[in-house]
Amino acid sequence: MSSLIGFASLVLAILFNAYLIFSNFFIKNNGKVFNLFIRTSSVLTIISFFSLMFAYVVSDFSNFNVFQNSHSEKPLIYKISGTWGNHEGSMLLWVSILSIYGLLFSFTKNIDLKFKQETLLIQSSIHILFGLFIIFTSNPFLINSVIVEEGLGLNPILQDPGLAVHPPILYAGYVGYSIVFSQAIASLLNHNKNKDWISVAKKWSLISWTFLTAGIALGSYWAYYELGWGGWWFWDPVENISLMPWIAGLALVHSLLMAKGEQLLKKWIIFLSILCFSLSIFGTFLVRSGILTSVHSFASDASRGLFILLIFFIITGFGFLIFLLKTPESSKPINFLFINKASALVINNILMIIATLTILLGTIYPIIVEVLTNDRISVGGPYFNSTVIPIMIPGFLLMSIAPILSWQTNKVRNARLYVLGFVVISFIVLIQSYFSTFNTWGVLGLILGIWIILASCISIISSSKINYDFKLLQKINPYIAHIGVGVAIIGITCSSVFKNEYELNINEGDKFQIENTMISLEKIEMTNEINFQALRANFLIEKNKKIVARIKAGKNYYPVSKMITTEAGIFHQWYRDIYFIVGDQKDNNWFVKVYINPFVSFIWVGVLIMVLSGFIGISKR
Amino acid sequence: MSLRYQRLLLIILSLFFVLGATLLILFNTKENISYFYTPSELSSLNINLDKKIRIGGFVEKNSFNKVSAGDFNFKITDDINSIYVNYKGILPDLFREGQGAVIEGYFQNKEIFNATTVFAKHDENYMPASIKSKLENSGYWNKNY
Repeated sequence: MSSLIGFASLVLAILFNAYLIFSNFFIKNNGKVFNLFIRTSSVLTIISFFSLMFAYVVSDFSNFNVFQNSHSEKPLIYKISGTWGNHEGSMLLWVSILSIYGLLFSFTKNIDLKFKQETLLIQSSIHILFGLFIIFTSNPFLINSVIVEEGLGLNPILQDPGLAVHPPILYAGYVGYSIVFSQAIASLLNHNKNKDWISVAKKWSLISWTFLTAGIALGSYWAYYELGWGGWWFWDPVENISLMPWIAGLALVHSLLMAKGEQLLKKWIIFLSILCFSLSIFGTFLVRSGILTSVHSFASDASRGLFILLIFFIITGFGFLIFLLKTPESSKPINFLFINKASALVINNILMIIATLTILLGTIYPIIVEVLTNDRISVGGPYFNSTVIPIMIPGFLLMSIAPILSWQTNKVRNARLYVLGFVVISFIVLIQSYFSTFNTWGVLGLILGIWIILASCISIISSSKINYDFKLLQKINPYIAHIGVGVAIIGITCSSVFKNEYELNINEGDKFQIENTMISLEKIEMTNEINFQALRANFLIEKNKKIVARIKAGKNYYPVSKMITTEAGIFHQWYRDIYFIVGDQKDNNWFVKVYINPFVSFIWVGVLIMVLSGFIGISKR
Repeated sequence: MSLRYQRLLLIILSLFFVLGATLLILFNTKENISYFYTPSELSSLNINLDKKIRIGGFVEKNSFNKVSAGDFNFKITDDINSIYVNYKGILPDLFREGQGAVIEGYFQNKEIFNATTVFAKHDENYMPASIKSKLENSGYWNKNY
């Protein structure tokens, strides 16, 4: 029954949108009727999504999708999040978020009515394309042809709290760019002379970017504690794909900052808006088609890939075609000086686009090589590390001082203070690293990170009178975001350059010492959980002969799918993580791997600061 | 500054950065790309011992041997040729005899391959596209895997 409701409302939503678009060519819909149609179609899509979720929650195995991906003995949270733990459901989530954004946008006030309607019409077209994609290639509402009592179960690797939060938030980021895209196209079609769309675009691009940041970070954290996903960043195709719209979106957010007085930028902003959404769809295509070998892809089907590729070409082609045909005229040159805010932002934009292209090249290079020479290759992390990072470094340097540059003049306030600060930091870091382990990248990363934090702090202190209220927070928001980046850089540098790995063969009751910490393997126990059996090794961590923590690491066995998953145990400290993995055993002698990851927590704290400042930015004005 | 000069400046600046990026990419691609082979292809090729490669295939039945906890050897096969592999570390959870796996590492000599990383098939329905098409070509592809 719920399958029927879900499918019917999905089809109805598409029909509503189609009617809206066609009728718009013949009759002039008044605002009220228009809004009614848009909102009804959005609500129908959301109903469709919830009816699928309902089928999962009550374990309705007459639905083929539920039968294939669920099991009645699963905890409730995985029944709910299992809705999007498979290809069909995740695409329905995609379209539902698109609808929610459309619904929210239809309530926006203070913008030109014609502009708003055209934006929503483009939004409806995207909805129709992806709606048809779901109906024809990945319908989650198919009826199971045989009557069954039990489902096949969700892939155990996905039975993790990460599944509940990571995909929806990531999609909220990807799909948010659809609104930015629609606005850009609508403003081109409209020859919109007034500038109020820029402030709306600012808000939406910031919303998308903030969600995308949070989504990527959550995925990264999940990959960090899940064995076999290569740690928090692996330069896997699926990860790269999310990074591209993120960087392009960052360029967009920064260009919009500059848009206030500069006409020339309008062109560039529209270009970036189209680019961001194109990259988002391209990402969907690469992930869903399985054309690239990735550790994160779970389903692949060539026909689906082809369909999304078609949608990608329609949307991107249409977007860039309109862009070429209707480019806005630029009238006034940018106020460029040797070093002012405008030139810094332009350089930052150029660097970000080059970084995006470099990642794109490395990601699709295997496809190109295969088509041309039939060789199978893979481009690994070292390529990205040694190209993307050097490209970004000048950008990071610029970032530390950019907020204090002025719009109109060449002068830098307190220039001496900053130079002095930079020299002192470099000196301290160099001395410190000389006496410990020296590593060029390590030194460079540490200097950059600390310098960005310090420069931002100096700017905050010297630029504003201290009176503590929310306005101040909004005023210093850019600096806060940059401090977040600095903190994350320190975390990224330390955890990748200075990490250590230890391999041990130990028995129950053995004690061992790793980097001044006494650790003992207390015991190994087996327990029965709701839908799996757990084997856990208990590690005791001692400090000054006192036990400070008991960490469990081990394996889970899922009888339903006959699979084993490895569960890492992590002891979090603010300056390092001790990361345990239990491997095989022979005659009760266990193989254990222990990693010391310094300053990993800084990555998460840094991203958290960025996300918070993103939300402060959204609440502005 | 007039609009024309400004554009010129922008173009020069962009070209400068693009040039830098291109150089970086050219210098870095050669060493950082790993090639992918099946055991059959390897038998007819001469591979440098210091070249990192990936091999895809199936773990041969009855070839898996545990030397000690964390030290294994097994054979990777495509049913025509097989390769003897040494691996120290933790095997992926889905690593099983008769199942698909991809190994990355270096040849110790013509006969023995030292794996640094072992990737296994991700879930019951999933097979990396790269192994799938290769194995389809060599005729050892079973839909039920």
